[in-house]
Amino acid sequence: MMRFLIYSVALLVLSSSCATFKFPNAVGMRESTQQELNNFYLDTTQTYVYRFKMQAFKQAQNGNLLIEAVSPETHRIALVSDFGQTLFDMSIYPERYDVHYVMPDMNKKLLLNEVADIFRTLTTRRYAESALLFMDKQHFPVYVVGDSYYTLQERHVAQILQTKNGKERFKVAFLNVEQRIAKSIHVTHSKYPITLDFELDRKQSNL
Amino acid sequence: MKTSVFYFFLFIAPFFLSAQTRQMTASEVNTFQQKLKKTAEVKSLSADFIQYKHMSFMKKPVESAGKVYVKQPNKLSWAYVSPFQYKMVFKDGKIFINDQGDKKTLDLGNSKQFEKISKLISSSMKGSGYDEKEFVVTYFKKGNADMVKLRPKMNDAKKYVKEIELLFSTKDEQVEEVKLIEPSNDYTRFVLKNRKINTTIDDAVFNL
Repeated sequence: MMRFLIYSVALLVLSSSCATFKFPNAVGMRESTQQELNNFYLDTTQTYVYRFKMQAFKQAQNGNLLIEAVSPETHRIALVSDFGQTLFDMSIYPERYDVHYVMPDMNKKLLLNEVADIFRTLTTRRYAESALLFMDKQHFPVYVVGDSYYTLQERHVAQILQTKNGKERFKVAFLNVEQRIAKSIHVTHSKYPITLDFELDRKQSNL
Repeated sequence: MKTSVFYFFLFIAPFFLSAQTRQMTASEVNTFQQKLKKTAEVKSLSADFIQYKHMSFMKKPVESAGKVYVKQPNKLSWAYVSPFQYKMVFKDGKIFINDQGDKKTLDLGNSKQFEKISKLISSSMKGSGYDEKEFVVTYFKKGNADMVKLRPKMNDAKKYVKEIELLFSTKDEQVEEVKLIEPSNDYTRFVLKNRKINTTIDDAVFNL
């Protein structure tokens, strides 16, 4: 009886962790040719400065987000408060991240993992493996890579929907895109009450 | 070859050495402290500031600018005007914030960062009133200017700030630059310009 119970629980955990996410209105999936996704932060000679506003767990924080592409798949990311205090400074790789500095109040593994996940999704170039099919929309390009869903608009990524264990985790929307530069970015977290808004400061960026 | 190297150091090196930093001798420390005692007690201060945030991986610092007003014993206004509008006012044990029209009030107890700003500015204004329980204080000469370095002693503070450098003006012995160095060696430099000491400051400055 006990063994049966253990097997049932294990099966339940396994099946829930392998659950697939159902993208709204999608009816199927097809194989895709190699499609480059998210080509905003490829140029290693450029650095981006965004003004950010963060609302997290009823706390607000303003400051600057600094992005440098070390390579198309590796980025140095720093969040700095208005007063100049570094909140996070990390290098983000496809499979891991290195923390150069984190403000002691924010030095929590769970939080760092989440921050790294969000900025990895926001900055990293990826290649599509498959695309979604929609019944009523012939040309609605949504490409899928692993747990991420990339919605394209006028040949650039307009939204990335990141899922985990079959559930929506967070959304990144790229707005006001001009010449492969996203002037505004909006991030909404689905699990935690976190929203992030970024506005490009072109004058301070090195573009 | 040796001669050319000699001439290089003779003529070129002084240009690099002109702003070199060295520790003050005991008598220089004494003279500096005497000078500070003679300067007028600072009851109010207004200044423009430019803030430069230096990160090791960025080619140029991130810059912002604003105005600071201090009125002893406990009023402080710190307002950014460029490239964004953001004003913080400290009075009556509270912080009042105006973020581009979005106004809010916080109890000072909720903001360690703001306490640090307030303490830093008041100790800078006093010149010699550094809390030796909290900081290891060392005195330097940077070119002709006097410089004080404060290293936090408490472990809690060390996690945020590795060192604070205060650079004094050669003209009036008031602080004209503050550098906050983080444990990672990235730093924020504040340059104070158009400093006015003990002039009348309208109380309206401390309203949002």
